[in-house]
Amino acid sequence: MSKRLFQVSSFTPTQQADGVLSAGTFAALKAGSATDILKIGKVLLEGQASSSAVTATCLARSSTLAITPTALALPNSDATVNIAATVATTLPVAMVAAATPPNRSPAVTIARLNLTFNAFGGIIQWQTNPGSEEEWVSVGVATTSNSETVLSSANVGAAGLIGANIFYEVL
Amino acid sequence: MRKQMGEIMIDHRASPGLPEEIARWAGYDPRFCREGKVYMQKTMTCAHCRGAVVPNIFRTRERHSCAKCSHHYICDACAYEMTLPDYVHTPFEKKVDIVKQGSPQKLLFP
Repeated sequence: MSKRLFQVSSFTPTQQADGVLSAGTFAALKAGSATDILKIGKVLLEGQASSSAVTATCLARSSTLAITPTALALPNSDATVNIAATVATTLPVAMVAAATPPNRSPAVTIARLNLTFNAFGGIIQWQTNPGSEEEWVSVGVATTSNSETVLSSANVGAAGLIGANIFYEVL
Repeated sequence: MRKQMGEIMIDHRASPGLPEEIARWAGYDPRFCREGKVYMQKTMTCAHCRGAVVPNIFRTRERHSCAKCSHHYICDACAYEMTLPDYVHTPFEKKVDIVKQGSPQKLLFP
């Protein structure tokens, strides 16, 4: 399928301990069906804070998936990068809020990618070789640590306003 | 960029940057996370859990790899699991297969 872009234009990923995340402090992504695979190949975060703000964002997996995600609304977006692309049969679920937000996996045996930067003028970008096996992969919609990816902040520093772009592909 | 690696770029050219202790906590080199600096580092993806990690450049302990995965890098957590006596080798592709096939069929006994 075509590359997709999940874009959150402005939010504060408030620093918090592992567990159920507060609404509006995260950006989460999961597959639309049990057999879909999502491959995240690039994450670009742009700092928008108006004063120095150490923002310890991390890309992690959910140990308990969000329940009843709130439909994504403008100015946020999630769509194919190529406007003429064939739309996937089952669309992935991109969210910034839910009736019960995702639980960021507290297991030490579940990897997470540390994306710490200063949101006052800072930019951070993580990318892999396109199509390589190094991309961040999640699969299905099961309530395990494999299905949902969440961008939020570790309980360090004092997070500032950021914009987030997550480039991914549905297989 | 090598085949097994990703790349992280942290641009503080227009930012006060990170305090040294925060940069060290994140596993970055503090010298390149100050005001006006750009820090670029490889990232490595675990063959077993597909989690990506930023390697700590100050680490002196060996990193792990899996001989059954063509000596691809595996993270510390998965390396620990490999040491457990009841461990069954489960690369990420196998996990994907399990999820896509659904639960295994149960045996029926007469």
